[in-house]
Amino acid sequence: MTSDAETAKRINFNTISAVVFTALGIVLFLIIPHHIDKPLINLGGAGQSNLDAEAFPQMVAGMFVLLGAWYLFVSFSLREHNELRDLNVEAVTNVVVTLVIMAAYVWLMLSLGFVAGSAIMIFTMSTYFGNRNFVLGALVSIVVPLVVFVLFTKPLVTSLPPFPVDELIPESSIIYKPIKYLSNRSIF
Amino acid sequence: MFEAFLGGFGILFNPETVFMTFVLMAAGLFLGMFVGALPGFTTLMALAILLPISFFIHPLLGIPFLLGVYKGGIYGGSIPAILVSMPGTGAAVATTFDGPALTKKGQGRKALEIALFASVTGDLTSDIVTIALIGPIAAVALLMGPPELCAVLFMALIVIAGTSSGVFVKGLLMLAVGLFLAMIGQDPIGALSRFSFGIAEIEAGIPLLPMLIGLFALPEIFISIEKKISQIIQSKDLKVSGERLTWAEFKGCGRTIARSTAIGTLIGVIPGVGQVVAAFMGYAAAKSASKTPEKFGTGELEGVAAAEAANNAVNGPTLVPLLTLGIPGDNLTVILVGAFIAHGLRPGPQLMQEQGALVFAILIAMVLANILFIFIGYLCIPLFAKVVTIRKSLLLPLTLIFAFAGTWVFRSNPYDLAILVIFGAVGYLARKLHFNVTPLAMGFILGPPMEYALGQTVTLAQDEMFNYIVFERPIAAVFVVATPIITYLMWRRSVRLRRQFGATD
Repeated sequence: MTSDAETAKRINFNTISAVVFTALGIVLFLIIPHHIDKPLINLGGAGQSNLDAEAFPQMVAGMFVLLGAWYLFVSFSLREHNELRDLNVEAVTNVVVTLVIMAAYVWLMLSLGFVAGSAIMIFTMSTYFGNRNFVLGALVSIVVPLVVFVLFTKPLVTSLPPFPVDELIPESSIIYKPIKYLSNRSIF
Repeated sequence: MFEAFLGGFGILFNPETVFMTFVLMAAGLFLGMFVGALPGFTTLMALAILLPISFFIHPLLGIPFLLGVYKGGIYGGSIPAILVSMPGTGAAVATTFDGPALTKKGQGRKALEIALFASVTGDLTSDIVTIALIGPIAAVALLMGPPELCAVLFMALIVIAGTSSGVFVKGLLMLAVGLFLAMIGQDPIGALSRFSFGIAEIEAGIPLLPMLIGLFALPEIFISIEKKISQIIQSKDLKVSGERLTWAEFKGCGRTIARSTAIGTLIGVIPGVGQVVAAFMGYAAAKSASKTPEKFGTGELEGVAAAEAANNAVNGPTLVPLLTLGIPGDNLTVILVGAFIAHGLRPGPQLMQEQGALVFAILIAMVLANILFIFIGYLCIPLFAKVVTIRKSLLLPLTLIFAFAGTWVFRSNPYDLAILVIFGAVGYLARKLHFNVTPLAMGFILGPPMEYALGQTVTLAQDEMFNYIVFERPIAAVFVVATPIITYLMWRRSVRLRRQFGATD
């Protein structure tokens, strides 16, 4: 065996993935009896299938174990590059920031409504990713969510989280009535 | 089937819907070309985020809309490929061999026009072939019972897993993951609860739409944001200049376009191969058939025509296995399956029997979309050429709001947003570790019908499975025998490719 081949035959991310998949198959085998309901009564007859509800999951679990073992065997000779290792600090930061923005966006959308939540998200994200034309950024942040909201609620007759007018704006405020009017007409 | 075909005209040209069908197809084509022209934004991503729009309108409006996005997206990728050697989509990579060289020679306009005309010719011809093929294949498919269906689905899944990943076993493992995810919820035979782990939200299974958007759209966003976006292309580089394409030049490419169309059509029918392979094969075939092959790569119109006709000719025929057997041929048609299922139309032999006229109406609309394709493409080439300069810092969050809004409108359930993000992260990790998520999505979609067909087969066999399959269902037996042979051949191919390309994808 050449030294190159020996170098190639080493533990790599594929080996670890193979172990994970094999373990997943074994765990699946073990949990099948506990996580599949049993029929309360077996009536038999024409409508009844002879295929047990556990049979197909057992086949899939078997697939995981067999393929995992095959993958493990193959993995030592694979020289695929783990691209996660290529991620520099900037890339990791950007991905993490985007995930945080997504989580915050869900919360904002549910608590401020789709348009306001989206506007904040678009402006924050575009600014973070390099947009320095703040006027354009603000304009896009407001106009696009409004258009999407109207598109989904009017022609497509679906629902997106509306702006919670009554919870966030006091009735005495001068902007209450116009905003309530727009909200009632599903403008945002 | 012929009655269904004629009925398709009646449905399509219903005065109440025909106008909107064409308006939405035009919108789909425009959006597809727009996204396709943006490097880093794929047709797949466009289809995934626009999929929810199709849910809430009649299938005759929604599905042609998505088909428009599909067609437009594949063509749109050629625009930056020709102008700045930056393929908007994978399908346009082969276009960069000759497109940018033509631009450098001052023939950018000619190159863009031949790309458009070759794309439309390839697409139109293959769409007509699709309609001609679907009827007879569907008629044969209708003769299939549960054993044949189960065997065909299993074989198709193996083929898709094998063709979609560099390392065969990794594709198969992703398929197993998809099958496992499909088991969460209820078993398709007795409706018994499975693997819900006490979580009420997944008692009915993992919702398809958030999963598809998460797997196919979000990873593209994550990959795009790894580097802060900088504007490297100046709008002056994107000026469409030079003389227009002449009829003689188009005619001169006729043989090449016809050859590439035939290659693309054939490849489209085979599940799992796709536009990228078709474009390369079309280009290679044109080069080897040319009397002046040395000119290829230096700015040859035929080179652009060959690649573009071939990649667009794939679009229609990918619907053949989808609509007749319920097998999506690639990740783009997986998204279309989502649209069909959302309308209660599960692609497969039964669909052609029960809704044949509607399916033919959609297919006829797809053929007629090519007329819109040529007009929109021709008029908007200069506009789409500028699309590359749009700030990605603004486009990425906009993509995100479409993904989230589309997921929300599906069931108005915050849990779906969590599913979206989780599958987005899974898709991203999979990309980084060289796993292809297409077999996962295929396993998820085709797992339940396959299990159901298997259950019926077991019942029909009455504990005599071997005798039943061999003596009573010879067609199923052929598929059962063919599957391990195909698996072996695909494994051999995978090993050969690994040796050739240093064991990497």
